Amino acid sequence: MLLKNTYNEFIKIVSKPRSYLGLGALTILIGIIIFAMKADGESMVSFVTASFEQTLSFNGKLVNGNLIAFIILQMLVVHIPLLIALVTGDLISGEAAMGTIRMLASKPISRTQIVLSKFIAGAIYTLVITLWLGFLSLFVSHLVFGSGDLMVLNSDGLVILPEADILWRFGLAFCVAYLSLLTVATLSICLSAFAENSIGPIVSTMAIIIVFTIIGSLDVSVFDSIKPYLFTTHMASWRSFFEQPVPFDEIMNSIIILLTHIVLLVGITLIKFNKKDITS
Amino acid sequence: MRKILVFSLFSLSFMAFGQKPEDLIEKINAKLAAVKDYTVKAHIDANIPMIQIMPSKAKIYFKQKDKFKIESKGITILPKQGFTELNTFLSEKSKYTAVFGDSLRIRDIDTRLINIIPNSSSGEIILAKIWVDQKNSVIIRSQVTTQSNGTVKTDFKYGAQLSYGLPSELKFEIDVKKFKMPKSVAADINKTSTDKKKTKSKPKSKGIITITLSDYAVNTGLSDSFFKDKKKSE
Repeated sequence: MLLKNTYNEFIKIVSKPRSYLGLGALTILIGIIIFAMKADGESMVSFVTASFEQTLSFNGKLVNGNLIAFIILQMLVVHIPLLIALVTGDLISGEAAMGTIRMLASKPISRTQIVLSKFIAGAIYTLVITLWLGFLSLFVSHLVFGSGDLMVLNSDGLVILPEADILWRFGLAFCVAYLSLLTVATLSICLSAFAENSIGPIVSTMAIIIVFTIIGSLDVSVFDSIKPYLFTTHMASWRSFFEQPVPFDEIMNSIIILLTHIVLLVGITLIKFNKKDITS
Repeated sequence: MRKILVFSLFSLSFMAFGQKPEDLIEKINAKLAAVKDYTVKAHIDANIPMIQIMPSKAKIYFKQKDKFKIESKGITILPKQGFTELNTFLSEKSKYTAVFGDSLRIRDIDTRLINIIPNSSSGEIILAKIWVDQKNSVIIRSQVTTQSNGTVKTDFKYGAQLSYGLPSELKFEIDVKKFKMPKSVAADINKTSTDKKKTKSKPKSKGIITITLSDYAVNTGLSDSFFKDKKKSE
């Protein structure tokens, strides 16, 4: 029954035009980034290497498909949560707004299974978005720019990774990025259980992400104690796969915190939905 | 007999001490001038603060007087100066004054320091020091201070191409004090302010780039057009 209801939930997602907004927006955004990098990628890279190039000369293909994929991932992981929340924030509250939730609750399926099927359908949608992001950023950028070593800039300096050592990093980075987006999807579904309309959970999800991100990026020691527990702090942990050596302990810590958020949010949603007085 | 001995000693001392630094540089230049062009395989190992890069392979092409090209499959990092600048500068005798300095034994080789002071203050090179193996007329160590790149110290090792004065290994020690990260690009939201403070406490100021050169092909007749492609090699 859970699987059947999950299938139904996914059909509902597929039948809504807003579900294609994310895919369409991603396609256009990535197209714009690839066009911009093709037109002026060299100068963007030289902005990064300018300080080093007074003393050193960088030879080889600096602007390549791997770098473009990394830039795309870095730019869009911040914005994709909105595209995810646009769909997942509507999963429960949308039913309440349309008045179909009472009919749904009257079906021979427990409320827990209803909520879980919505979570699974939301997770599948998030996976589709992540895979589409991966396909466009990796495949298309490789098609346009070709392959090459990846030059990554972080606060410790430049890391240059050999071409043969990159693909697995992207694979795992996409897995962790998916987990981050899944946390956002879970948060919006959770908020959706508290609302009777679609806009509230979507806006609330983005507001929470913005507030947490600002707290996380403020270089003030007073926030240092709470930063490690904010899920937004760990949303960028996919970047750690592009460090040398890879800090697997830190990544594992991020995965645990993201999973804890997911479990807690699913738990809160289950409690709320099971206790919900469905009158509409 | 006594006269012969005195004459011999005088001749020997003249040979040892009568040589001008310009003469020694001339010998080095003559050796390098015999190389019209060369192609060589390079193994580059860079150990530079703030840059993490695996050892890489490249192919270097050179043609007199200063044509230089590098081809590599991946990204390689080389010092901005060091391959052609010093030799080009040394070949222009009117542009500098050479003065002998102390003798120094480097890796069991007796060397003589030559200080090279540019005659003009507007040039890129402020001061150059070369430690020369007088026996083989090759540079064993150089230390070049330039206007824009700071000081670069280079150690030269020689192998099969000693007769041409072409090194088998170059070890560059470069100044990296000027490296600054563009903060807006390097934002790392994962790190707390405490982590960032920890990161900052690494005041390394020297970077080492070791280039091992092998399989020289000397004077193969590389054409000028080969060097005309200014796009970075792929």
